[in-house]
Amino acid sequence: METLNLIRPELLTFSSDQIRTLWPYLIVFVGAVFTIIGSVLNGKSSKWLVFLVTVATCGAGIFHSAELMRDSSLVLFNGMMISDAYSHFFNVIFLGVTLLTAFASFRYLDHEQLQHPEYFVLLLFSALGMMLMVSSLDLIVVFIALELMSLCVYALVGFRRNDRKSNEAAMKYFILGSAASAVFLYGVALLYGSTGSTEVTRIYELVQENFALQTPVYTLGLVLVLFGFLFKVAAVPFHMWMPDVYEGAPTPITGFMTTGLKAAAFAIFLRVLITLGYGKGLADYLQSHIHDLFWVFAALTMLVGNVVALTQTNIKRMLAYSSIAHTGYLLVGIVAGVRGELGFYPVIAYLLSYAVMNLGAFVVLTILGQRGDVGLNLHDLSGISARHPWLSFCMAVFLFSMAGIPPTAGFAAKYMLLYSAVQAGEIPLVIIAVLCSAISVYYYLRVLVYMYMREPAESPTQLRVSLWSQFALVSMVVLTLQIGILPGKVIHLAKKAIMSI
Amino acid sequence: MVEKWDWLPVLGISYAVGIDGISFWLVLLTTFLMPIAILGSFKAVEHRHKEYYFLLLLLETGMLGAFVTLDLFLFYVFWEAMLIPMYFLIGIWGGKDRVYAAMKFFIFTMVGSLLMLVAIFYIAYQHKVQMGHYSTLITDLYQLHFAGGAGYFSTQSLLFLAFALAFAIKVPLFPLHTWLPDAHVQAPTAGSVILAAVLLKMGGYGFMRFAFPLFPEAVATYQIPFMILGSVAIVYGALVAMVQPDIKKLVAYSSVSHMGYVILGLFSLNEIGVTGAVYQMLNHGISTGALFLLVGMIYERRHTREIAAFGGITKVMPLYAVVFLIITLSSVALPGTNGFVGEFLILLGSWSVSPTLTAVAGLGVIFGAVYMLWMFQRVMFGPIRHEENKSLKDLTGRELVVLFPLVVAVFVMGVFPNFFFQKMEPSVQRFLNKSNITARN
Repeated sequence: METLNLIRPELLTFSSDQIRTLWPYLIVFVGAVFTIIGSVLNGKSSKWLVFLVTVATCGAGIFHSAELMRDSSLVLFNGMMISDAYSHFFNVIFLGVTLLTAFASFRYLDHEQLQHPEYFVLLLFSALGMMLMVSSLDLIVVFIALELMSLCVYALVGFRRNDRKSNEAAMKYFILGSAASAVFLYGVALLYGSTGSTEVTRIYELVQENFALQTPVYTLGLVLVLFGFLFKVAAVPFHMWMPDVYEGAPTPITGFMTTGLKAAAFAIFLRVLITLGYGKGLADYLQSHIHDLFWVFAALTMLVGNVVALTQTNIKRMLAYSSIAHTGYLLVGIVAGVRGELGFYPVIAYLLSYAVMNLGAFVVLTILGQRGDVGLNLHDLSGISARHPWLSFCMAVFLFSMAGIPPTAGFAAKYMLLYSAVQAGEIPLVIIAVLCSAISVYYYLRVLVYMYMREPAESPTQLRVSLWSQFALVSMVVLTLQIGILPGKVIHLAKKAIMSI
Repeated sequence: MVEKWDWLPVLGISYAVGIDGISFWLVLLTTFLMPIAILGSFKAVEHRHKEYYFLLLLLETGMLGAFVTLDLFLFYVFWEAMLIPMYFLIGIWGGKDRVYAAMKFFIFTMVGSLLMLVAIFYIAYQHKVQMGHYSTLITDLYQLHFAGGAGYFSTQSLLFLAFALAFAIKVPLFPLHTWLPDAHVQAPTAGSVILAAVLLKMGGYGFMRFAFPLFPEAVATYQIPFMILGSVAIVYGALVAMVQPDIKKLVAYSSVSHMGYVILGLFSLNEIGVTGAVYQMLNHGISTGALFLLVGMIYERRHTREIAAFGGITKVMPLYAVVFLIITLSSVALPGTNGFVGEFLILLGSWSVSPTLTAVAGLGVIFGAVYMLWMFQRVMFGPIRHEENKSLKDLTGRELVVLFPLVVAVFVMGVFPNFFFQKMEPSVQRFLNKSNITARN
């Protein structure tokens, strides 16, 4: 057994390089603290103050993280954290998602009379949780970051305090999320018990040195940790919480969860998997078991997500099931990444594309929703294109992208993902995936049917789209089309990120 | 003529376009019919003009792109991108059941093309395995050889089937044709014209450009099954067309029958048959396009397409009747019109492969004459039974301008086919050689 008190002094000192790599985290933390201070200042000024601080924080964080992507990897805090291209790639995604969620929320909160500054505090702290999680190398730090992120989001889900659905969603999410965290923590404990370390790289080294460490306890621990992650990404059969939570949460928060939270969970999932030797280094039997497990989960997730989405009439719920379906496609990428020559970068590129298009769709829904998040059923959208041609156009772009139709980001990403799966020889899985996408076309297009091909509903209220939301929408549309038409840049970044693990 | 840019070098994807003797005519057909379709249905569109023309032009971009592309990935992009504008054209400006028709059209096509996508992945990866680098350029892919071919379910045959499914749905080949009548009947006139005249050709073109040269042995294996399906489509389409009460639906089913000839000709795999098939694709574009325009014109006046609602139209619309007659005769393949040349060559080509199937297909020629002429008789001749029909106005100047080029094309293609063959033949020959040489290896 390895002793705990193996402290490497060189890792405890702070060099200026290390401080530099911590900038994005410090910025977000300080920003979050400022929003707390801002929220103490009462009155109308606090709303703008808090909002602008959030925006500035995210902007500065994105800027720094993008800068740091060029640097080489650096291990921090005695191997508890790592700053590499992978973590900064995702930091940019998280902060981008947070920024756009803030943009989409501003008018929404006024409208819903929910304009409490805590909203932005929680948003920033959960972003910080995501950032820490994706850059941690120690399972304990992963757990702490996971909880930081989740607790903030539990509160955000229940932010509509006087609404039953929102409360129910928060409660459900909290209880099931805590159970999943417990499962994860139990897995960590078992891994620690069987190897003597909670550091992911250390566990890998120890297991490589001594194969006998791969006891049944180790296997169980590994599987429990993976199940914890699978719960967070809502893979079938761990998906039951998701539709209710997505439906009950305030619309911008749902968008935040489908994109930010999912990206974060997948990012750390992938990091832990790869670092623990998935693909190379794991014992053969473990490798093949995990492969089979993921294969089954991927197939189930795609099938259940898509088929159940067919029957939904509430758009938020429909997008929740579609989000489950996309989890399935991502799992296909994880199954395929081991043997495919493209490796795991299609998964990352897909995560980015999915974040872009899905967030866009939720920004549209935030604008379309009426007071109290009602009015998001299909028939409420009837004939909306006549009154809001541009809004409908944006929604059409996002939906076509989610359905994977060129020339959009969704197509480019799906192309790479399934291509890598064909390379890996997973042809049956790919056929399931494409048939599922064919199913998905129906429910995505049904939204467009209502928007474009039905007569308008009886009450033609003219919606006002705030400048912030306009900015968010335009940038998402541009990105969706840009990734779809010229995906080279994204591939390059994704490749760079995955290489740095 | 080829233009090539690297697009996504990581996966060997490039933007490569070029034309040869086959795509040349199809590009010409598209650009010829597009203004005609727009002008011909000028009055039919009553709302959302801006979006309508935007989508039509987007559709044209997609179609032209699919005809000229030399890269499999790019082809798929255009192939799918074509669906979006057509979906909206049917769904927004269509008839009563437009939503159902649009959805059915989209999902049918999508299912087919997604399986083709899997095959594209496999082929692209095979290029890496066999040649050592990524490429989706078709000239590179033609060099590949896929295992099997003789068996019905070998790798090559499965790949071929994945492509064939996508193309057969688009053609549409019996029994995958059920989306077509719905889409045609519900689509606005310009949509029907473009759908019949150009979009359906995409299937036949796909067979020639991709399926035949890539999977020569599988094509040989599946030659007879596909010829049988083609013959069935000819007879079935004709029989169903015969009993339609709606003119537009009748024309739609006649499309199924006519495209059956194209499949029959293509799969006869000899020069005469394939040339005939390409010719028939052009003919069908012109005659059926014209028929849909004519149906649209009478619909604008009467707001019905029921055959029973007409009768004696010759008396009130003599010019219309003349043009309708010419196009009808072209559609039933009267010698001297374009239809005759195509069908004759196809039957000649398929005779050498299977006289029985040719005889079955020959029945279709007779049925074709029956349903078209019977419909013509019921609409045009006899007494005027309905009051409304007495005041119908004859063709306007705009409509004559639209129809005139089509009538000219019918006769030019019927009388001087050689002019067209000269350009087509080298390309057809090249395709056949490619298929045969690889087959012998």
